[in-house]
Amino acid sequence: MKKIYFKITYAVCLMTMLSFISCTKSYLDIKPIGSVSVAILANKTGVNKVLIGAYATLETNHSNNVGYGDGYWVGYGPFYSDIASHEAIWGFQYEPNTNSFERHDGQPSYKVFAYHWVNFYYGVQAANDVLRVLAAVPTDQLTAAEALQIKAEATFLRALHHFRLKKTFGNVPYIDETITANNCNVSNATSIWPKIEADFKFAADNLDETKADVGRANKWAAKAFLAEVYMQQGKYSDALPLLTSCITNGVTQKGLKYALVANYPDILNFRKEANSEQVFAIQFTFDGTSVAAPNGNWEYAVIQPVTPPNQGGGGGFCSFDMVNAFKTDAVTGLPMFDTYNDVNMTNDQGLGLNDPFTPYAGTVDPRLDFTVVRRGIPYFDWGLYNVNWAYDQPETGPYSWKKFSFNKADLAAVQANWVAVSPINVPLIRFADILLRAAECLVETGGSLSTAEGYVNQVRQRAANQSAWVKTYVNNSSPALGFTNTPAANYFISPYTGQFTANGATYARKAIRFERRLELALESKRFFDLQRWDAGSGSMATELNRILDHSRSFMTIYKGIYPNMVGAKFTKGKNEVFPIPQSQIDLSMVEGKPVLVQNPGY
Amino acid sequence: MKMHQIILGDKRSWIKKLRIMKLTVILLFGSMVAMSATTYSQTAKLNISSKNAALIDVFRNIEDQSEFYFYFNKEDLKTKEAVTVEMKDAQINDVLDQVLAKTGLEYKIIDRYVVVKEKGSDEPVITMQVARKITGKVTDTTGGALPGVTVAIKGTTTGVITDNNGNYSLSNVPDNAVLVFSFVGLKNQEIPVGGKSVINVSMAEEALGIEEVVVTGYSTQRKKDITGAVAVVDVQSMKAMPSGSGVVALQGQASGVNIISSGAPGAASQIYIRGIGNFGNVAPLVLIDGVGGNLEDISANEIESLQVLKDAGSAAIYGVRGSNGVIIVTTKKGKTGAPTVSYDAYAGLQLPFSGNPLNMANTEEYIKLFKSAIPYHGFDNGIPDYMYRSGSGAAAWAMAGDPAVDPAKYKYDPITLGTNYIIAKVNKQGTNWYQEIFKPAVTSNQDLTVSGGTEKAKYLLSLGYLDQKGTLIETYLKRYSFKVNTEYNVGKHIRIGENLYIIRKAGNGYTNTSESNAVSNAMLINPLFPVYDISGKQFAGAYSYPITTMLAYGSNPVANQKLTNNNYDHSLQLTGNIYAEISFLKHFVARTSMGLSLGNSEGSGFAYNRYFDAQSFAVPNNLTLSMGNSWSYLFTNTLKYENTFGDHKLSVLAGSEANEGMSKSVYGYRQNFLVSDADYLLLQNGSIDGIQNGSGKSHGTLFSLFGRADYSYLDKYLLALTIRRDGSSSFGPKSRYGYFPSVSVGWRLSGESFLKNISWLNDLKIRASYGQAGNASNVNPNNAYSVFGTGVGKSYYDIAGSNNSSTQGFYASQLGNDLTSWEKDIITNFGLDGTILNNKIEFSAEYYKKSIEGLLFDQQLLATAGGAAAPKVNIGDIQNNGLDISVTYRDKFSKDLSFNITANITSYNNKVVSIPGQAGYFDTGALRGVGNVVRNQVGHPVGAFFGYKVIGIFKDAAAVAAAPAQLDKRPGVFQYDDTDGKPGITAADRVFMGSPNPDYTYGVNIGLNYKNFDFSTVFYGSQGNEIFNQTKFYTYFTSFFQCGLNRNLLNAWSPTNTGSDIPVLLSTASFSENTVPNSWFIEDGSFFKCRLITLGYTLPPSVLKKLTLQKLRVYLQAVNPFQITKYSGLDPEIPGSTSAFGIDVGNYPNNQRQFNAGISLSF
Repeated sequence: MKKIYFKITYAVCLMTMLSFISCTKSYLDIKPIGSVSVAILANKTGVNKVLIGAYATLETNHSNNVGYGDGYWVGYGPFYSDIASHEAIWGFQYEPNTNSFERHDGQPSYKVFAYHWVNFYYGVQAANDVLRVLAAVPTDQLTAAEALQIKAEATFLRALHHFRLKKTFGNVPYIDETITANNCNVSNATSIWPKIEADFKFAADNLDETKADVGRANKWAAKAFLAEVYMQQGKYSDALPLLTSCITNGVTQKGLKYALVANYPDILNFRKEANSEQVFAIQFTFDGTSVAAPNGNWEYAVIQPVTPPNQGGGGGFCSFDMVNAFKTDAVTGLPMFDTYNDVNMTNDQGLGLNDPFTPYAGTVDPRLDFTVVRRGIPYFDWGLYNVNWAYDQPETGPYSWKKFSFNKADLAAVQANWVAVSPINVPLIRFADILLRAAECLVETGGSLSTAEGYVNQVRQRAANQSAWVKTYVNNSSPALGFTNTPAANYFISPYTGQFTANGATYARKAIRFERRLELALESKRFFDLQRWDAGSGSMATELNRILDHSRSFMTIYKGIYPNMVGAKFTKGKNEVFPIPQSQIDLSMVEGKPVLVQNPGY
Repeated sequence: MKMHQIILGDKRSWIKKLRIMKLTVILLFGSMVAMSATTYSQTAKLNISSKNAALIDVFRNIEDQSEFYFYFNKEDLKTKEAVTVEMKDAQINDVLDQVLAKTGLEYKIIDRYVVVKEKGSDEPVITMQVARKITGKVTDTTGGALPGVTVAIKGTTTGVITDNNGNYSLSNVPDNAVLVFSFVGLKNQEIPVGGKSVINVSMAEEALGIEEVVVTGYSTQRKKDITGAVAVVDVQSMKAMPSGSGVVALQGQASGVNIISSGAPGAASQIYIRGIGNFGNVAPLVLIDGVGGNLEDISANEIESLQVLKDAGSAAIYGVRGSNGVIIVTTKKGKTGAPTVSYDAYAGLQLPFSGNPLNMANTEEYIKLFKSAIPYHGFDNGIPDYMYRSGSGAAAWAMAGDPAVDPAKYKYDPITLGTNYIIAKVNKQGTNWYQEIFKPAVTSNQDLTVSGGTEKAKYLLSLGYLDQKGTLIETYLKRYSFKVNTEYNVGKHIRIGENLYIIRKAGNGYTNTSESNAVSNAMLINPLFPVYDISGKQFAGAYSYPITTMLAYGSNPVANQKLTNNNYDHSLQLTGNIYAEISFLKHFVARTSMGLSLGNSEGSGFAYNRYFDAQSFAVPNNLTLSMGNSWSYLFTNTLKYENTFGDHKLSVLAGSEANEGMSKSVYGYRQNFLVSDADYLLLQNGSIDGIQNGSGKSHGTLFSLFGRADYSYLDKYLLALTIRRDGSSSFGPKSRYGYFPSVSVGWRLSGESFLKNISWLNDLKIRASYGQAGNASNVNPNNAYSVFGTGVGKSYYDIAGSNNSSTQGFYASQLGNDLTSWEKDIITNFGLDGTILNNKIEFSAEYYKKSIEGLLFDQQLLATAGGAAAPKVNIGDIQNNGLDISVTYRDKFSKDLSFNITANITSYNNKVVSIPGQAGYFDTGALRGVGNVVRNQVGHPVGAFFGYKVIGIFKDAAAVAAAPAQLDKRPGVFQYDDTDGKPGITAADRVFMGSPNPDYTYGVNIGLNYKNFDFSTVFYGSQGNEIFNQTKFYTYFTSFFQCGLNRNLLNAWSPTNTGSDIPVLLSTASFSENTVPNSWFIEDGSFFKCRLITLGYTLPPSVLKKLTLQKLRVYLQAVNPFQITKYSGLDPEIPGSTSAFGIDVGNYPNNQRQFNAGISLSF
């Protein structure tokens, strides 16, 4: 008995001692799990991976706090550019935040603005992370040239996000790599244009002309953006030489000389997108991971028509005004600048599925049917458009969104979720844009109008390439059998023939602006074009209120259409930019005063 | 074979046999007590038939058939020859005369004792003279006989049970023995024999437990000496609630404790002790036999005692784990005595609500409502007969006879879905989706326990099986539990023991805290849809997505439940500890305990192809399998010193604790399975595309030192001090240690001379405590470090433009803060405890205030800081204060009738005092359509609802014109209150619309015993909590979800019904109706629930004796027999997260009626 007594006593004593021994420092030292420190990334491989992470912020679904499920659609895409400029009509009328783009009644408290703001600064800081990690890389790890390329690409990305912020929110703070969580309450009082210029200029000066990957920024992409930055400030003379040099010497990342591709639809065909027209694009991919398609193009998936079996979300429609703008003069083949709305194209609004319908027989720009889906016209190899492909045609009208769609035959190469998520890239600048910008700069700086007309005509002539036009089906009920050689509609487009010089700068300006609308329709350009052209004149308000009135005029013809637009109004001096998120202003308070100041009118 | 007379013989050979016989002994004694023994040697008749038997065997034979005891020296017997004897109905003398005739032995009979010895030798020195028979009667305080009382010799397993008249008789009791009288509910009595042969005992009811010793922090205390806020739960009343979960049974039983439960089987309940103290984890620490556990996994039946430590005085010794309060559970242990087998079981039927509890429109009403809202959207020909979707995807309604719905066209092929042609017949009456998904459900629970022990060793083994089906089809919980605990006394000073629980749980993981659950789907789906299509086998659903055809929305909830019935969440949890306790130097006790917890979980989620569903019928089916395991240990060592110096009592405890835990998980994902049979679903059977897998890991350590001192003087003046130092791996080296002190004092007023003579006052004590407890449970273990991470959906990018692959990148995933440290809760508590009126009334009241220093909160960073997750920092303060009151009244009106009632009430005021960042608030509670509905803001309660206040519905155009500017205003929509005085309704007009925090919650338990019947009932209520009823968004607004509509809309505002309080049906979302949170969604969520009515009957001892049972009780129960509430939804008791709760997104009700029959027996 005694023995057991002592045995247990000893055991208890030993264990008790053990417990104190275990109280060494290392007992409480546990390293973070599943992550790496800057020290581990501070080498060639590491810093390059951080750079890839910075590129990944171009896919806005990668940032924090943003989900597709909660009804807020955020991205570089259609929402605040194409819907807010009334080229497009928002299909899901129940989502108030998104509706506000159409109604111009967005409130600073709306989550959607905070999401955009957070997204873009997330991208800015991801670029700054590259610079900070780069600074920690020992010099023997990277050559000076390699380091410079990394630095220049990161600087380019930082400029790109700041540029988007500036255009969207007006007064925004500039955040470089010296700004961290400790000093991030930066004022938005000073214009950040000079900083954006400096960043793009640094990138343009230092980036190589060609790159190993098409997704990377090269010298010419930086120049093109720098030109755009100048133009957005009205500095056309600074922009022109950059654009001219892009036209004459610019090459893609892969060294292809910038040129328009022969066929207009190839621009947004994911099988052909690494072409000579791509200056810089967001690279989306179907990467075979799951139905969640984390790196696919979600933004445009939502707006595609609901072609069975569920290609799109059916959320994107087009305005009568934009569709009418594609009408061409039956004699000249030129746009009908001031008269396009006089007669509406015939459409099937209010008609039943089986009611007879004849598509519009007048002459139209062939780009119309790459931009828009309308009844009676083949929609790739999906079939003839019908009312059931719209989410809610009685409310949103007869024209569905087509750009950024794909062939049914390609369905296997995209990812099916509740919408089909495609790998189609979103070009931020393509060569046609550069040509039209160069033409615009020539007009604004008093340059050669005939050179400008030549640039515009390059774009129009490509559109006139009949081989790429939409053709009728061999058999309407079996679209897979292919197409005839007969154009699907009465397409007619001609180049300008000296009208620029003959009619002067005002005409040329109108023609160039109209051409941008047609060529770049639904590519998220329009809102910022109008913003640039406004320059305090109020022209943006005039134009958008005009389109709103036009849209509302259909309410008497088609019952139930455009319920969102009742009372919608664009306010001059306010709606040119969006409100700075209230949540950010609240967080910027110092002693009761916000460091971030709200935009006028909000 | 009774107490054997082995004093001179070889002991060992008998010991084994003795044990086996114990139960028999007790029963024998019980039946023999009435016999008189004075002439026993004459009356006892013996039948002996032995051939060539050893003497010892003859003696045993005699012992077996009589009450005689033989005393002899075994050595004497060894040399004797075998004997042969054949006698019938003989007396003992005759038998022994014959048997011993030739042996040279003689005998002597004293009463029933027979001493056998060599002729002429000295009588053996035996203790016979000091062993005696004791008889007596046990009565209650009123003099009534108490049957069934256990009378045992202390330190032995020997004992008897009193008969129907309360009499007992116990033989062979040593003179120095102590008799222990025990009976459930009565105070144990210990009486030394000391030469008496008749001991009559009057047993008093247990004095409401104030003498009771309860387990508190690392120690035990007499309840009367407690100076902290400790709620000692009446386990008897708690057990009345039939539930597999200790949490559910605890609801309403302890003041200061709020519990919100879902009705879903196995769903986690939320326990708040004294309100919500932070925005993250507010779950209290639950210690089951000293090891962290889950109260949900333990059935109320297994609980011996349960204490809730609420203030710093009691909980600060748990340091960083104590801030949310501590629940200390002690499970049943074996008791000294014969083995007892007990079996508890109940079975019941839960019934869903009848009729149309969601108040949904039927087909005819639906079409009427729909057409009035959206006249241009179809149904022009009235109610259609069919709906279909063709292989090409075209979907429409159709009338009978339409070739499109020719049944010959019907085709369903589970593999080539693209060729399906499905047709369903419209339900003209309207499908009552609620009734389709809720069906009566059977629940049963069984516990089998064997326990017993000696003074040296005690044991308890228990098996439990819970099989609970939910009324929501395909929901269930099956739990198998296995428990064993043992304790040995090694010598006088050492105790070693162990506790072990193994729990296996199987369920399908249904939760209802997210939108789009089965209940909300029953509101979102069209009444025209049938459950099945025309095949009768395949499900019907929303065949077409575009709204034009109105076949949109609504996920068939029957299909969702039935097609996921193979999904599961299984877990296996093994928890236990081994301990040793040594008493030494009279006053010291050292204890060491090593607790271990091993967990294993396994989940399977199969997302079937939704062939019937418009929005996702092309999504391939897919399977996710996940497995996880975890282990943790808790190594605790304490040393306690206890002594009394005259009137001074002192107890000091010091200890250390090391705690380490690690968990790991792994999952795999594949898609495109050929068939969906559960037996086929192995990952490798999916297609090669879309493979996903991943793993997770976490690891943390905590090391602590703590001490406690309790001092009392004259039993009147009480003082307790505790301190703890914790070190945690979650914090950086500079800030990882925290100190948590507390002090508490008590004054027993009733012990003072000026109160001693007040006869109605039995006990009165005031007490106060102040101290700190900590919290670190909301901190990510990586919190101190700034790190980068990688993720496909986060930092991968197709930099090469491949269109089919992406390149790995890294992103800043976490900002670190190595100064972040504990959250310290500063708790002040004042209490008053008393018992009055001859212990009939016991009450306890306390006031507390709890504020938090350095609330752990995500650092509020501007977006310009980047996207890395912000660290937790120590800023912010939430304060709670309130009252906890409990009162118990017990009385015994007569021998047959006793009554008790316990009521408790908990009030708390909760206020956010500071929130980091300059904004002073953060918004949360995002809901589809209306956005964030919760704002946590300084000066307001946690989880408060924030939005526009509705002051009415615009009656007409004149009212619209007269009102301030308001977006979308028109007749029939809400008029918002212009609260800021500035013109127009803007965001600045938003106000706090209500709080989901109740003003108070309360529980009432009533018990009534009449003769052998017992009756009990449990009430639980919550007052003053508001609910944001998001289900109104689903069913009242035709602009968003148009498929399920509430019948109340038939009375909506219209130009001819301008007085309605239901807004007009619109086709578009509107600021003035449903796109912003407004007070129309807010409802009073107060409720009063009768949780339980039980009627039981315990069989009387006379019957039990015949059945050879100790106890048998049968009972009938009605669970949730009624409830009183104004809330329009299914159940106002709604779980949620701590920063956003009280939001009804389609709640699995926790108030459905259930009827149980149960049995509880032991033998």
